[in-house]
Amino acid sequence: MGSDPGRRRALGLLVSGGSSLLLGGCGLNRWSTAVGAATQPLNERIEALLQGQGPVPEFRPSQVEPAALLVNSFNGTPNLAPESYRLVVNGAVRRPLRLDLAALAALPQRECVIRHVCVEGWAAIVAWSGPRLADVLALAGPSPLGAYLAIRSADQYFETWDLASALHPQTLLATHMNGAPLPVANGAPVRLASPIKLGYKQSKWVTGLELMTSLGDRLGTWEDRGYEWFAGL
Amino acid sequence: MRQPVITLSDASGPARPGPHPLWTRAFHGFNLLVLLLMAGSGLEIYNANPVFGGRAGATVPGWLTLGGWLAGGRDWHFGVMGLYAANLGLWIGLLLHRRHRRLADGGDLGTLRRSASPPRRRLASHRVTYTLMLVVLAFSLLSGLAMYKPAQLWWLVSLFAFAEPAGHSSWQTLRVCHLATIPAIALLLVAHVGLSWRVGGLRLLRRMVL
Ligand code: HEM
Ligand code: HEM
Repeated sequence: MGSDPGRRRALGLLVSGGSSLLLGGCGLNRWSTAVGAATQPLNERIEALLQGQGPVPEFRPSQVEPAALLVNSFNGTPNLAPESYRLVVNGAVRRPLRLDLAALAALPQRECVIRHVCVEGWAAIVAWSGPRLADVLALAGPSPLGAYLAIRSADQYFETWDLASALHPQTLLATHMNGAPLPVANGAPVRLASPIKLGYKQSKWVTGLELMTSLGDRLGTWEDRGYEWFAGL
Repeated sequence: MRQPVITLSDASGPARPGPHPLWTRAFHGFNLLVLLLMAGSGLEIYNANPVFGGRAGATVPGWLTLGGWLAGGRDWHFGVMGLYAANLGLWIGLLLHRRHRRLADGGDLGTLRRSASPPRRRLASHRVTYTLMLVVLAFSLLSGLAMYKPAQLWWLVSLFAFAEPAGHSSWQTLRVCHLATIPAIALLLVAHVGLSWRVGGLRLLRRMVL
C-alpha cells in the first residue's frame, strides 16, 4: 500500500470513526482487516524484539489450574494409535525423519509450568512436559536457510511458526500434561506447548514438521481466516 | 493556599481569555476518538469469552462493539493501541511539564474538605475529576499491556496477584481490572461534562473543544 492513499484513507477512517461507532459500528467493521494489516508489521517487530529476551519465568507446579483449561477443537478429536504413530520431520533438513513415540521419549525431557493464553480471553496455568521442539529439529540436521516451521496435525489443522519461536528453549513437543500422559482431547499423543504464543498457535495431534525457507500461501488454519500470524505473548 | 482561579473568574469576570492552547485541545479531542475505538473493540473481545461467566456469560449488545468478530476486534484494539498510548503519554507529559497547575493537587482536596463556597467546590471537583480520568486511562494502558504480553511483562501481571489469597487468579483479576476502566471512565466522563458545564458553560466548552 502506497503511503499517500493509505494515509488519506486512514484520515477518512478517523473522521468517520466517532459518529458511525455510536450508530452501531457496522460502518467501521469492514475496515478491521485493513487496520490490522496496517499496524501488525510494527507490532510484530516489537513482539519479536521482546521475545529475544530469553526464557520466561515459570510457575510452581502447585499453581496449575486444570479446571481452567478449556478445550477448543476445529475439526473433532482424532484418535491416533500410539503404536503406529509417527512424527514426520522433513523440508529443509539433511536427514528427513519418521520418529515414533519411543524416539521422542528417548530425548531429554523438559517440564514447563506456564500460562496457556487463549485468544478468546481465558487463560490457565498448565504443566507440560516432553522433548524440546529444538532438540527434535536438531536430530534432522536443519539447513541454515530454514526460517519457518510448518506444523501439520491429524485433524488437518495447520500452523506456521517463525523459527526463533519454534527453537525457544520453552517450546515443547508435549507428551504429558499436569504430570499424566496427555489426554486425547488435549492433543495426544503429541502437541505443541509454548509460553510465548497464543493457544491457537499450539497445534494438537501433531504429525508433521516441515522446515521451510519462506512462508507459502497458507499461514495457518485461523490465520488464513484473519487472525494474527505472529500471535506472541 | 495557592489555587489558580482562572476558570472561576473566566466564568463570571469581564476579561475574556482566549482558547486553551491548541496542543491540549488536540490531545483532548484525539483521545476521545481513540478511546471510543478502544472501548468498542475491547467489548468485541469481551464477547468472545465474557469476563464474567466465561462461555456461559452474558455478552454486550452488538451496537456497542467494534470489529464484527474477534479477529476484527483485535485488529482494531491492537491497531489503535499505539496511537492511544502515544497520545495519552505525550498529553500527560506535556500537561505535567507545562500545565501542571491545572491538574488536581492536595489543595483541591483541601478545598473539598473545607470550603463552603459552591463555585470553589465545583472547580476543585472538576479538577479532581479530569485528573482522575487521566489516571484511569493510564491504568487501562498498563493493565492492557499486561494482558497483551503476559509472558514478557510477567512482572506487570504479578502486580495483579493481590486477590490470589481469595482464590482469584491474577489473570482473572487483570481482566476484571482492565474491563472496569470502561464503567469508571464512563462515570467520570458524565461528571466531567456536567461539571465543565456548571463551571464554565458554553464558553468554556468552546475554549476547550473548538
Ligand atoms: C494500550 C492500551 C491497551 C492495551 C495494550 C489493551 C490490551 C488488551 C488485551 C490484550 C485484551 C485481551 C484480553 C483478553 O484476552 O482477555 C484487551 C481486552 C479488552 N480491552 Fe484493552 N487494551 C488497551 C486499552 C483499552 C482501553 C482504553 C479500553 C477501554 C476503556 C479497553 C477495553 C478492553 C475491554 C473491554 C476488553 C475485553 C476484556 C476481556 O475480555 O478480558 N482496552 N485489551
Ligand atoms: C474520556 C474523555 C475525556 C478526558 C480524558 C478528558 C480530560 C480532560 C482534561 C485532562 C482536561 C484538562 C485539560 C487542560 O486543562 O489542558 C479537560 C478539560 C476540558 N474538557 Fe475534557 N476530557 C474528556 C472528554 C470531554 C468531553 C466529551 C467534553 C465535552 C463534551 C469535555 C469538555 C472539557 C472542557 C470544557 C474542558 C475545559 C475545562 C477547564 O478548562 O476547566 N471533555 N478534559
